[in-house]
Amino acid sequence: MSRKKGLRGKTASSSSPSKDSPAGKSTGKTVRGSPGIVQMNGVVHPSRPPISNSSEFYDISFKVMLVGDSGVGKTCLLVRFKDGAFLAGSFISTVGIDFRNKVMNIDGVKVKLQIWDTAGQERFRSVTHAYYRDAHALLLLYDVTNKSSFDNIQSWLTEIHEYAQQDVVLMLLGNKADSAHDRVVKREDGERLAKEFGVPFMETSARSGLNVELAFTAVAKELKHRSTKDPSEKFKLQEYVSKEVKVAGCCRS
Amino acid sequence: MEKSKSTNGTQVLAASRAQDRVDRLDPYGFERSVDFDYASYEELMSEYLVVLTRRSIKWSKLLKGKGKVQKNVKLKRYVRKGIPNEHRALVWMAASGAQDQLEKNPGYYQSMLEAQHDPKLVETIRTDLHRTFPDNVHFRKTSNPCLQKALYNVLLAYGHHNPAVGYCQGMNFIAGYLLIITKDEEKSFWLMDALLGKILPDYYTPAMLGLKADQEVLGELVKVKTPRVWQVMSDHNVMWTLVVSRWFICLYIDILPVETVLRIWDCLFYEGSKILFRVALTVIHHNQALIEKAQSLPDVCQAFKEIVRGPLVDECHTFMQKIFSEPGSLSKATLTKLRTTCRARIVAEES
Repeated sequence: MSRKKGLRGKTASSSSPSKDSPAGKSTGKTVRGSPGIVQMNGVVHPSRPPISNSSEFYDISFKVMLVGDSGVGKTCLLVRFKDGAFLAGSFISTVGIDFRNKVMNIDGVKVKLQIWDTAGQERFRSVTHAYYRDAHALLLLYDVTNKSSFDNIQSWLTEIHEYAQQDVVLMLLGNKADSAHDRVVKREDGERLAKEFGVPFMETSARSGLNVELAFTAVAKELKHRSTKDPSEKFKLQEYVSKEVKVAGCCRS
Repeated sequence: MEKSKSTNGTQVLAASRAQDRVDRLDPYGFERSVDFDYASYEELMSEYLVVLTRRSIKWSKLLKGKGKVQKNVKLKRYVRKGIPNEHRALVWMAASGAQDQLEKNPGYYQSMLEAQHDPKLVETIRTDLHRTFPDNVHFRKTSNPCLQKALYNVLLAYGHHNPAVGYCQGMNFIAGYLLIITKDEEKSFWLMDALLGKILPDYYTPAMLGLKADQEVLGELVKVKTPRVWQVMSDHNVMWTLVVSRWFICLYIDILPVETVLRIWDCLFYEGSKILFRVALTVIHHNQALIEKAQSLPDVCQAFKEIVRGPLVDECHTFMQKIFSEPGSLSKATLTKLRTTCRARIVAEES
């Protein structure tokens, strides 16, 4: 949730023209610049071109959803990925559902991820699971410092199997991996659970940035690979993840 | 080019001067956002302060020598024109019936606090404590008194008082606002009880049936009052929950500017939940053209984020006049009927 106290905060994006994406493979339409672009103090700069950024153009677009218990860090992970920032203590709990876009360059193809952030509290699931069926990928998070968020992964998986598409790309993330002192879920436990359910796994940290880019890149690569079906390229999500993943508190690169 | 540059320069200068004059914190302790438009705010306040002063004098006269606030046509009119902040707690308490409850149940709040704590409830509330208004100085751990403790108490007591609801995200923001205004835990608790128990349908229970129904009710009302917007929603397959669930759950907190939210709440406590629809319908109707431009579902979502900011909602006094005229008639009977049909439809779909 972004704060809306700005008086007459003028959003500049509404006038920017929609341009068709170059390849226009999937949904085709280009969406306006990322949410929340506001010109400072409402001053209009007439000499400037309409606000545009790289996210205006893309070749293919996918929906990714972040799910997991309340407080595991879904919004923080998304903001770290989107803006490269970790604003400690400035987040407010997500109510309902919200989304942000990010365009990634995957092997020369512009892949737009439309990332849906959901409220984690159980009663909101009945509101949010209606969106599962449109999701191409789901990132399921738990918090390594919160045992019950890990124990609830099973019930999340049940929920996902019930409402998501059969071929949805799924990844398990153990977030807050930087918190060495408060950790109660071992990395091995996460790995074991992921193996049991046959999903790729990594530990992440929105605070330090550990594996955040990787989690989204891996998903984007898999989705791009599936949609282009280029026989000359071989991509295995699990292999890619185990090759690229970094381990918390270790300087192996 | 040259001309636009100099105009720009003047505007920037005016803005920075206003920034020196206007407090970085709003009157409720919220930090102003980085993109806060100080110049426009000053301009707006110069007009609004006149209104506030006039209203304040009228209210002082009205309340003078009266121990109790009586609900009547005159008071209703006064409430619609805004309750001065110094009288807000008093009038909210009286109009909602919270004051009666408080007086009838001495010591009840304290007993709810002292009840055996439900560990799961405690944990859920704790998860949201530091995520409730981190941009408000009163909610910082370093502030004295720190409202985080009061927030915890009110939510915990309410969870014990109403175990069917327990704690639902969104209630943290509501309790937070109540504490900012009343500066009193027990009053906040009883106002919370009036809101959740009497004024609002069942938004916060685990099934959230009241919320789901009201989202659909809004859809039905838009279909009649602003059919072109309804068409856009239907063309792009946008479920109402996607764009308005937060409006209802948070009672416009963090959606609309603080001052506007409080003006809405004045009427919410006095007149009931119908006001929430009037606000939504006005915002949607007023921005019909913008919503119609949407070409896709994300476009629609984006449009719904944009329409809750800008002059329409910033100018709270005129906005409150508009909500009673622009959406046209909205009778209690219509609303009750729509709520019943929508609710039945949802129950049928879910079973």
